[in-house]
Amino acid sequence: MTTAESLHRRRQAVSIAALTLATLATAFGLVWLAWILGTTFFQGLGALNVKLFTEMTPPPGQDGGLLNAFFGSFVMVLMAVVIGSPIGIAAGTFLAEYARGSRLGEVIRFVNDILLSAPSIVIGLFVYELVVRQAGHFSAYAGGIALAFILLPVVVRTTDEMLRLVPDVMREAALSLGIPRWKMINHVLYRAAKAGILTGVLLAIARISGETAPLLFTALNNQYWTSSLSEPMANIPVVIFQYAMSPYDAWHTLAWAGAFVMTLFVLALSIISRTILNPRKSDNA
Amino acid sequence: MLNLGQRQVEQMSAPIPAQPKLVLDNVSFFYGQSRAVHDVSLIFPEKQVSALIGPSGCGKSTLLRILNRIYMIYPKQHATGKVLLDGDDILDPRYPMSRLRARVGMVFQKPVPFPMSIYENVAYGIRHYERLSRSEMDGRVEAALRQAALWDEVKNKLTASGLSLSGGQQQRLCIARGIALRPEVLLLDEPTSALDPISTARIEELIDTLKTEFTIVIVTHNMQQAARISSNTAFMYLGELIEYGNTSEIFNNPKDKRTEEYITGRFG
Repeated sequence: MTTAESLHRRRQAVSIAALTLATLATAFGLVWLAWILGTTFFQGLGALNVKLFTEMTPPPGQDGGLLNAFFGSFVMVLMAVVIGSPIGIAAGTFLAEYARGSRLGEVIRFVNDILLSAPSIVIGLFVYELVVRQAGHFSAYAGGIALAFILLPVVVRTTDEMLRLVPDVMREAALSLGIPRWKMINHVLYRAAKAGILTGVLLAIARISGETAPLLFTALNNQYWTSSLSEPMANIPVVIFQYAMSPYDAWHTLAWAGAFVMTLFVLALSIISRTILNPRKSDNA
Repeated sequence: MLNLGQRQVEQMSAPIPAQPKLVLDNVSFFYGQSRAVHDVSLIFPEKQVSALIGPSGCGKSTLLRILNRIYMIYPKQHATGKVLLDGDDILDPRYPMSRLRARVGMVFQKPVPFPMSIYENVAYGIRHYERLSRSEMDGRVEAALRQAALWDEVKNKLTASGLSLSGGQQQRLCIARGIALRPEVLLLDEPTSALDPISTARIEELIDTLKTEFTIVIVTHNMQQAARISSNTAFMYLGELIEYGNTSEIFNNPKDKRTEEYITGRFG
């Protein structure tokens, strides 16, 4: 056997070993993901029915649905988006357009990254001190504010990054027409970066719609229907938490149903944001 | 708006006007501490094409970017000296920026249509300066697109995205966008270096027709292009203006050895 042949064989053996290990590692990771999704899917699918969307959360031993919780989650996520995304987009714009290369910008970006990875329970506690204790009661708006704090840094970061992806020559082209900077940002840059910014907001919604800890401290829960923002409000994550920990089978079923609907919602958001960001077939302008 | 017509009439009667349009007086440019342009003084005559040539990094694009103060959007960049546009110093901070940018248009190396329709690309700049009725705006957009030799190719798809055009068409759209504001000076920064030969030829033809109305300063890497389209050529090297004069003089009878070496292809 020549040296070249033995070398070739050895390399092939190493290659096969590496490929096998990499495949096993991938499979190992995927098994858990499939298991989680599969369990949620089968348990949740069995629990799905119309009552889920027409009836309120029941007391122990009775039938019911999750209408008030779905509504509460919707209201509080909406509140977070309404409060958080304009501030986030404005702050991201400041970072990308006005604070580029400045020390202040670097500091803000760093602090934002800290906020981005802050444990959500800390944010819940903060809003508890800031809003709930001051007001003297749990409330939906406290929940919305807590979720806004989690959404905010995600939107700041994506807006900053997406604007910085717009080439400088686009800015120069607009400014060379004598267009003032704020107009250039509003009319040209936002248009160029809109898909990316929208994706950031969608991913942030996906992130906050499953947050439980900040809502435990702020909106708490409510067995009944309420549309008042200053009362405790039911929401899917906290209902799942409470019902899953309970000893009642009917509550377990509802918890699975809630988990299923929420997973589907988050999955749909990820898919939508992906198709917005890579519009391969449609031309994007 | 009226003086445009007047200007055209004057042209027909008068021979080639050679009044100075832009006068650079001891202009230097700095990126932070490092000096990219050294004490350049020259005159760009009105309604002629003047070319800036020289090897990469010689400061020719930098010099062009001084003429509409576009460099000012970047901190740490600054220019010294004087640039007189019809006698007024545009480097004077008191010179109003929007007036300067309306009078001096710019087209870049890479075609950059705005993410808007073809129509909006042209109308957007106009709308910033003038309130026009729908039909007046239609007329202005059409005139600009005709002048940029693009109208026939886009007249049936004005609502299509500017990004859907080919590279050469995009560049003509950018020229249309610039001339729609009726500037007096057009700065072209290597406008054909990203284009194929056919698109390049079309842009060169276009520049030839535009010079009847605009003072054009073009930066080009392509010496043949400079020889074909310009009346005056400036050769720059290492941030300095080595030689400036009549294009045929520069190409046929260069006075400086470096100019001769560059145009005969011995370096650059």
